[in-house]
Amino acid sequence: MKTLTTALLMGAAGLACTTAQADTGKLLLTGGVSSIDGAAGGGLTPWAVIGSNATAGEIGGSAFVTRTSTQDFGLTAYGAAVGFQDRVELSLARQDFDASPAIALNGVAPFGVTPGQHILMDVVGVKLKVAGDAVLDSDSLMPQIAVGLEYKSVTPGSLGSVLNFLGTRTNGTDFYISATKLFLAQGFLLNATLRNTNANQNGLLGFGSAAPGKDSRSWVPEVSAAYLLSKNWAVGAEYRTKPNNLEDLGRAAGLADGLAEDAWKDIFVAWAPNKNASVTLAYADLGRIVPGVTAARKQSGFYLSAQLAF
Amino acid sequence: MHPLIRILAPACVITACALLAAPAFAQSAAAAVAAPASSSLYQAFGGRSGLVTLMDDFMARLLADPRTGPHFKPANQQRVKEQLVDQFCVAMAGPCVYKGADMKSAHANLDITKGDFNALVEVLQHAMDAQKIPFTAQNQLLTLLAPMHRDVITVK
Repeated sequence: MKTLTTALLMGAAGLACTTAQADTGKLLLTGGVSSIDGAAGGGLTPWAVIGSNATAGEIGGSAFVTRTSTQDFGLTAYGAAVGFQDRVELSLARQDFDASPAIALNGVAPFGVTPGQHILMDVVGVKLKVAGDAVLDSDSLMPQIAVGLEYKSVTPGSLGSVLNFLGTRTNGTDFYISATKLFLAQGFLLNATLRNTNANQNGLLGFGSAAPGKDSRSWVPEVSAAYLLSKNWAVGAEYRTKPNNLEDLGRAAGLADGLAEDAWKDIFVAWAPNKNASVTLAYADLGRIVPGVTAARKQSGFYLSAQLAF
Repeated sequence: MHPLIRILAPACVITACALLAAPAFAQSAAAAVAAPASSSLYQAFGGRSGLVTLMDDFMARLLADPRTGPHFKPANQQRVKEQLVDQFCVAMAGPCVYKGADMKSAHANLDITKGDFNALVEVLQHAMDAQKIPFTAQNQLLTLLAPMHRDVITVK
């Protein structure tokens, strides 16, 4: 609830900024919103756009807070990004994952998981635009292309013993390449991202796995599509595939599919009342997240994010 | 009659009509070369008079905006407006001829950043909103104009 209030306050602050024109010059919504990992993009996946309102010759910044909660879990993410010359983006994000249901793991083995345990993850991101202009090259099919990395470090608290048991590491780096194209005449935006990663649940459950789980890295595709209803409103959907490193380890440990992981999906509506603020509401289907401790059910729920950008 | 045929029959009639009408259509197309038919996008902007109204408002907004004002204050504003009408009209396949300089030489001596270019697009969007131009028509025009960024932006 506190996060929701913060999100609304940020939205209100953004509205108040309408009259205080920033001297950074990107077109509305063309900087994307903030993904949960901090990079500019959709909600779940980075795009090739560089965050903030800064275009060539300018430096800009953005900040965001995102809250999502599902049947059994909750995630709060917040962070900031700096865009240099519409060329380089540096981002920082912290994710606070409420992993309370993990207390059930004490019934599997004496892990010493404490009640109400949260997993914290910090993400440092760097993105470099390498070619194209997603918006202005409207006479060609050439997309804007960027490469990026996300270094992630996990603080699992009392769940450290579980991550040790799973043989996962508490830090890892994702590499990705993204292509974003706005089909301006149709008002349709497409993004495709290919990520190289060994993260479990985006890194919240560590990186890699003990045998017979999968410890090696995978290339996983992520796609977003958005339709511009007006200058201020966009609707869209995202689909992010993920590795499923831990399932085989779970089976070998007699947990059946208790550690299985699925793709993340969402449908969203984004509202940018002006160049300095946007609010995104999504309904996310996050599939199974350690179904062994959640009565095997899938996790879904609403996602609310607010961003300020200059 | 078989239901499927009944459904298809009108389509066949329409096709036949289209085939029969083809010579007449060709004739009118030939006539169009002399007096070019206007594109639907041009119509969405209210034709020539709509463009003249749009440019009057657009120029007033360009002058009022602190980002774009300094670029347009020294210009012959009436001439720029007339040229913009012709240029937009030509871009939309309307019945006009653009006699002004090409974009590259027109901007070669000016310092124009990508931020300046985007500011102009933003002001144009506001002007189009004020004229109640539908969002899709706005984007169709911007699609035709956006590639000019390569010639207009001189400070890269």
